Formats: sequence, C-alpha cells, structure tokens
Amino acid sequence: MKLVKNVSVLLTATAVVGMLAACGNSNDNNNAGASGTAGASGSASATGTASAAPEKLKKISLFQSKVEIAEPLEKLADTYKKETGNEVEVWGSAGDAYMTQLQAKLAAGEGPTIFSVGTGAEAEKLKSYYADLSNEPFAKNIAPDMALKDGDKIVGVPYGVEGFGLVYNKSLIDPKDVKDVDALTKALEKFKAEGKNGLSLSQEAYFLIGHIINTPFALQADPTGFIDKLNKGEVKMADTKEFQEFAKVMEAIRANAVNPMEVKYDSQMGDFATGKTAMVHQGNWSYGMLKDYGDLGFDIGMMALPIAGNDKIAVGVASNWVVNNKADADQVKAASAFLNWMLTSDAGKNAIVNEFKFIPAMTNIDAGDLDPLSQTVFEATKAGNTIPWALNYFPQGIIVNDLAPAAQQFFLSKDMTGEQFLQNLDKAWANGAK
Amino acid sequence: MNRASRTTVSTLLIALALAFLSPIYLMLVNSFKDRAELYRSALALPSSYSFQYYSKAMDKMNFLTAFGNSLYITIVSVLFVVVLASMTAWMLVRTDDRLSRIIFLVFVSTMLIPFQTLMMPLMQVMDWIRTTLHIPMLNTRGGLIYMNIGFHASMAVFLFHGFIKSVPVALEEAATLDGCSKFGVFWRIVFPMLKTITITVAILDVIAMWNDYLLPSLTLSDKALRTIPLSTFYFFGEFTIQWNLAMAGLTLTIIPVVVFYMFAQKYIIKGIAAGAVK
Amino acid sequence: MSKNNKGWFALFTAPLLLVFTTVVILPFIIGIGYSFVSWDGIPANPKVFVGLDNYATLLQDERFLSSAWRTIEFTVLALVLVNVLGLAISLLVTMKLRVSNAARTMFFLPNLIGGLILGYIWQFIFTDVFKFLGDKTGLDSVFFNWLIHPQTALYAMVIVFTWQMAGYTMIIYIAGIQGIPDELGEAARVDGANLWQRLTRIVFPLLMPSFTICLFLTLSGAFKIFDVNLSLTKGGPNNSTELFAMNIFNEIFGYGNYGLGQAKAIVFFILVAAVTLTQVVITKKKEVQY
Repeated sequence: MKLVKNVSVLLTATAVVGMLAACGNSNDNNNAGASGTAGASGSASATGTASAAPEKLKKISLFQSKVEIAEPLEKLADTYKKETGNEVEVWGSAGDAYMTQLQAKLAAGEGPTIFSVGTGAEAEKLKSYYADLSNEPFAKNIAPDMALKDGDKIVGVPYGVEGFGLVYNKSLIDPKDVKDVDALTKALEKFKAEGKNGLSLSQEAYFLIGHIINTPFALQADPTGFIDKLNKGEVKMADTKEFQEFAKVMEAIRANAVNPMEVKYDSQMGDFATGKTAMVHQGNWSYGMLKDYGDLGFDIGMMALPIAGNDKIAVGVASNWVVNNKADADQVKAASAFLNWMLTSDAGKNAIVNEFKFIPAMTNIDAGDLDPLSQTVFEATKAGNTIPWALNYFPQGIIVNDLAPAAQQFFLSKDMTGEQFLQNLDKAWANGAK
Repeated sequence: MNRASRTTVSTLLIALALAFLSPIYLMLVNSFKDRAELYRSALALPSSYSFQYYSKAMDKMNFLTAFGNSLYITIVSVLFVVVLASMTAWMLVRTDDRLSRIIFLVFVSTMLIPFQTLMMPLMQVMDWIRTTLHIPMLNTRGGLIYMNIGFHASMAVFLFHGFIKSVPVALEEAATLDGCSKFGVFWRIVFPMLKTITITVAILDVIAMWNDYLLPSLTLSDKALRTIPLSTFYFFGEFTIQWNLAMAGLTLTIIPVVVFYMFAQKYIIKGIAAGAVK
Repeated sequence: MSKNNKGWFALFTAPLLLVFTTVVILPFIIGIGYSFVSWDGIPANPKVFVGLDNYATLLQDERFLSSAWRTIEFTVLALVLVNVLGLAISLLVTMKLRVSNAARTMFFLPNLIGGLILGYIWQFIFTDVFKFLGDKTGLDSVFFNWLIHPQTALYAMVIVFTWQMAGYTMIIYIAGIQGIPDELGEAARVDGANLWQRLTRIVFPLLMPSFTICLFLTLSGAFKIFDVNLSLTKGGPNNSTELFAMNIFNEIFGYGNYGLGQAKAIVFFILVAAVTLTQVVITKKKEVQY
C-alpha cells in the first residue's frame, strides 16, 4: 500500500488545521492591542482629499449598542474616510446582545477603540477602560451636567438626550384633565366605559416597570441617596409617599386598562397609532414606530406622569461614547480625532441630528427638525423642566431580573393590593441589590 | 398495505406536515407587509407581493459578501469535522481500552456544557494563542473555522461512534491481512461504508454552522467578514424588530440550506438503494 | 496496544483532540477556576479568590433551585414528545409513499429556522393566534395567551422545542431505519407478524443505536436550551420559565456575578452528566450487534 503517500495526505490535512487560522492574517490590522501596522491600504486610498488631514491616523474600530443608528454611522465613517483619509471600522450587534459581545471582545484583547456605555451602573462597571477626554476640544461643548465623568475627568460624550412620560393622543385627552392620580384614575375609568384603553404599558421589562417606576425615585429630594439607602435596607418603598401614589396608578392601570402582559411594544404602538389607546408610557424614541403608520389623523404630545404633584417628564442620557484606554496610544489619538470630527464638522453634526435623530446634548449642535415628541423633550430640557433618570443608578440588572417579575406577578393576580405590590418590590430590590 | 390505507396515511402525513409548516407561513406572508399592515393582520395574505423588502434586506445585509463568507466558513468547517471526527471515532471504537473509553466519555459529556459558560474563557484562550503563538484566532475566518471544528467535534464523534460499531470488523481484518495500513483500511474500506452517517453529520453541521449567530458574533468583528446571520443584525433593535426585513432576511438565509438538504437527502436514499451501507 | 498501533492511534485522533482541547476543554477548566472567584466579568476588574463561597451561595439561591427543577420538567416532557414524534414521522416517511420525500423536507424545515426570530414567530402564535382561535371557536379554556401562565408557558416552550427537534431526530431515525435489511421485515410478515409485532420485535431492537443517539441529543439540547427561552418567554412570567442556561446567563451578564454563574454551571453539569451518562451506558447495553 502507498503508506507514505497516505500519511503525507493526512499530515497535510493536520497541518492545514493548524495553519487555517493564519489564512485571515490581513484582517487583523484594526484591533485594539493587535500589533497591526498603521493601515497602509488607507493611505493608498486617500484620493487627493488629504488637505483636511495632513496627518495619517491609525485605523480604529467603533462598537455601539444602538442598532437604529448602525447604518447612518457606517455612512458617516465613509464620509470621514473621504474627507480625512482615515479609517473607522464600524462593528455591529443585534438588540440586547451588545454588552455580552463587548465583554467577550474585551476578554479577548480585541476591544473596540471607541465604544458606547449606558449611563449609570454599566458605565461604572467599565470605568477602568476609559481614556481621559477632558482636554479634547469637543469636551467644552458638552451641555452642563451631561458629560460622563470619572471623578473630575470627562471620560464620555453623551449620544444625546432622551425623555419619557405619558405619550398621549391629543384628540382623546387633555393634559389639564389628568393633573393628579385621582383625575388620572377617573380618566382611565371613563375610557374603559367607552371601550378604549386609557393607559397602556407593555410587557418588556423597561416598558412594564423600569421607566414608570423612575418617577417616584426621581421625585425624591436626593434620588441617588435614596437608592443608596434602599440598597442598605434603610428605607422602604412601601413607606414612601411617592411610591404609594405610584402603586395607586398601577392599581388603576390593572383595574381599567388592557393587561400589560398581553401587550407587546409593537402592538402597544399599533393600538396607539390607530386611536384605540389614549396614552402610552413611552419615550420620544417611540416616534420612530409611529411614523410607519403614516398620517395618524390626530396630534400627539408627551406629558408628565402625574404622581405626587409631578409635572415634569423624565430626561436623561442613555448612552455615551467612550475611548478605550487599552488601545495603543496612536489609536486613542485617532479615536479622539474621529469624535472631534463627528461632534464639530458639518457632516458629523448633520448626521447626529438628521440621521441618528438624536436630541443633541452639545452646546455647539443645534437641534434639527424634531418630531413632536423629541420637540417636547428638547424644550423641557432647555427650560430645565425635567426630572432625572434615576433608573440609571439602580443596581445592575435589577429591572429585568427582579423588578419585572414582581410587576408581572402584580398584573397577573387580581387581588394583590398596591401595598403588597410595594412590599414585593422592596423584597425584589433587596434581592437584586445584594 | 392496500391502496385505501396508503391514501389515508398519506393524507394524514401531509396534514401533519402542513401543521408543522404554519409558522413558516407566517414568516413568508409577513415578509411582504409594512408595519401598519402587519399590525392590522399578521395572519392574512399580504395585500401585494412586491419584493421590495427582499431587495432592501439583501442590500442592507451586503448579501453576496455575507453569502460568500457563510459558504466558505461552513464548507471548510464541515469538511474538517467529517474527516477528523470519523477518523477519531473509528480509532476510538476499534481500540477497546480505557483511554479510548475515557476520551469518548469526555467528548460526549462536554455536549452538556452550555456555550454561555464557555465563551469568556474561550476568548481568553484565543487571546493567549494570538499573543504567544502569533496566530490570529479572532476576527479571521480561519479562527472561526477552528472553533467550529472544536465545538462540533463532540456530536460528530458521537454519531460516527454509534454507527461504526455496527460496521462488521471482518472486512477490515481481511484488508489488514492483505497488507493495508490503518490509513488505507480506513479510507478504502471503512469510510465508504459510513456514507449515510457522514451525510447525516454533514446535514446537521451545515445547518448548525450556517445559522449560528452567537459564536461568529463573538469572533468576527469586521463588516467584510460577516456571515449571513450576523448581517441581519440591522433589523433587530433592542425593543422592536423591522419585521418585514427580518423575515425576508431569514427567508434568504434558509433557502440555500433547504436546497442543500433536498440534494443531500436524495443522496442518502440513493446510497441506500445502491446497497452501499450493507 | 503495540507501539505501531499507538502511533496510528495518535495520528488519527491527535488533530481533532488538539482542536477540541483548545476550544472546549481548556475554556471549561478555566471556567472551573472562575467558580472559586468573585468577579464581575469585566477583564480589567479585580478577581478575588473566595474559595467555596459561590457554591455555598447557590445552594441558597431559590431561584436557581426552582430553575433547575423547571429545567428537569421541561427536559422530561421534551424528551418524550420529541422522540415519539420524531420516530413516528420517520416510520411514516420511510413507508415508500409517494408523498414521503416532500414530507421529509417539510418536517425538516423547522430545524432550519434558528435563533431568535423563531421565538418571535411563536410568541405571535401563542398570544395573538391563540386568542383569535379562542374567540372564534369558543374554546377559550384551551386557546388563551399561553405565555402569561407559568405552566402553559412551559408547555409552550416544549411545543416549540419539539417542533424544532422532531425533524432533527427524524433524520437520525431514518438513517437507522434504512440500515435495517428489508428481508428481516419481509420474513416476519411472511411468518404472520402484524405491524405492531414487527415494530416491537424487529425494528425497535435494531434501532437501539438510534435511540441512544436521539435520546442523548434531545437531552443535551433540552438541558442547554437558551434561544427559545430568551425569545419566547424571557424567563417570565415571574421567572417561572427561566431555565437553567438562562439563569446562568442572567447571573453572569445580568447581575455581573461571573463566579457564581460559573459555579452554577459546574454543579448542574456534574448532575446532568451523571444522569445522562447513565442513560447512555444503559441504552448502549441494550444495543443489538448484528
């Protein structure tokens, strides 16, 4: 038998397995920590527009959580390359898979150069990765109190501001008629009698409890201090007035509105767009969904959740751009240059406002042509007429893992009182905070 | 069986099969609807059959590049899995000692480990390989192929192992007496008899690798490297999905595998008919 | 083993073992190491050795314990349903009917639809379509939103899993059935055995290897189920359908308790491995060599 030949075939096969990994060598020049050479291909393709950038910067990567802006961001990176000759590789991730992928990529030493982090617990967790951006030219343009900080250092730039409250159908309800919990309850009873859904929540954890429970937290004199005390078990939601009013609202919703457990975000907005629902507890982002329904035939607005005299919508920064300090110095430099370009050039500013549809949180960027919900959020922000997003400071994972199950239980049991609900929430909080 | 009962069985079978396909009906009809129409009725047939969402999905997904990546990664991975796993399984079956029993049990028991618990350490091992051996395992097609082989090894070895046991040893012994090396015995005598199971393994692995999202999402970052499932991410927001594009994208994803399956299935039946197994 | 044979053994098994070790075994061992550590999963953050603390914690974690029970319940139901259906279908489509080929492909199709979107499609079926059917037929004790009741939500997951896996096991059973020589069945028929006798006395015993494989594959698939869980119920309502893999995932990536999540994985792995390996050993013993 042809032993020699056969063995050599096998050895080739084995060797190929070992070498397979080497096939893709050329794709590896763009990662933090990887020892790639400064994009030689990039300089070759800088076609005559080098006037804007005399300096050739290292290729960087950008990874971020908001799927909705993925495509415009890729286009912006193309424009950037055309204008400056520098390259930004935009990575993508679906829906809520972002944090998992980011964590895995950081563990692999393949972290992106620029990435996004949620304000609050998430930002805190990742803070050993942030490069100091305090001295970057764009830092001074960040709107007051909007920068992501580590001590005194500015480490993150806000995406923009977002706001949530009661999004309502102006032809069905007048904000003047729902100024407090009693009035709101009466309105819900009236809608129920008319066969309409007065106020709709939906089954997703944030839309079921995460956002709506923000209000009683934000109304505390010192929301983060209150959260600290709650974590230590020194206060109870069940003993706090704002939460008791919140529980009344939840009881009124359970008694008079469609069970939120039966409603998905898609159907929630569909019912609202077709006039079957008068109010939804949602944010300005939901306009993206409404516009798919064409002309609604009525005007919409956003108002405050009227508990404990609250007349303000909740506005905050959901995500921030940060630069990975584990990338090499050249990449950090290139990353700052890109952020600076995005936040100061006309092309960048235009993309932020008109393509990403962000409500800018930079003093040097004017709001564009805003949709009605974003307009409300923008005006409230300018007037300082807002309550904060206390939920950013909740212990990590607590909304999905602890508060949502408690809320599900509440909506699925007919006889749980609001007080019992608050006690359950206290219990869930204690579990999630430990 | 007489003709009447044949007809009854056939009818039942098709009815059951159609019931099985009802979710796929939903996938197809809703790939033609906009959000408002989907909201009005997800069950109804679409009001128009325009392929705009298909072409939009293909465009956004950069379909041809993604298709090429998926094809390359899947084919190479499956070839390696089939070749290496059948060789390994044969040795494990024919060498009846403690070592091979232990190796087999290790293969089998690792099938019970949820991938989620392996992914972070896996990334660290790959990082270690990159920094010490200078082989780029991440963000390369080759690296993903390597990991695909590792993750699909267990099941393939398990399937081959079960099948090889029922292959008579006598032929192999005769060939050995004729002076065949182990290598010759395996490739000339044994492997041809494994046709059915080889195709079964190939089908199962092709599907698993073609549809895989999680592992590629961790290892491939660059746009140019994205596989088909990876490139559908544009349609999946955190709270909502662009249903029409997602359904169209999914349909586009599975068509190649359906074609492959129908082809492979014919091959199995032919192989049986030709008496290749026994 | 002679020296020569050892060489061949190494040559045949080493390539795969090398890949397998670096991709699966090594990460798993590192994972065991992490189970003794307190860490939030962010590489740059400190890892603190805590000994057996994580194991002590998980024993008191009621949510984990109930999740383990639900996983077992789910697995048993899925195991039975998937294999009964898969076997029945494979017997039907190997009867050489004119529709067999078409039916095979149709049953296999669900298997091709992986990932999250499958869960979303079924979510729509269990909520909207079921309510619609309930309204139309008046059978609202059967057709209601299955996903908002703890028990029916679990059954819903069993159904989706079965829908997906039945075609998968079908393929393996078909491979087994076609390996059975036709003459055996013919001979029995001539001897006057009825269909049931032919199945139980001839087909099933000869299918033992296929049973071993299918039972094990279903078992491992069911224990590890994650995608369907995430997209269909997200573990709700009230964590009642949070199965094992999802519980670990939430611990690791939700709460950021990496070590505790790993400890859970190890404990469950040991339990499951003990059960399933016993199963494999038992059914292997029943296999007929022919």
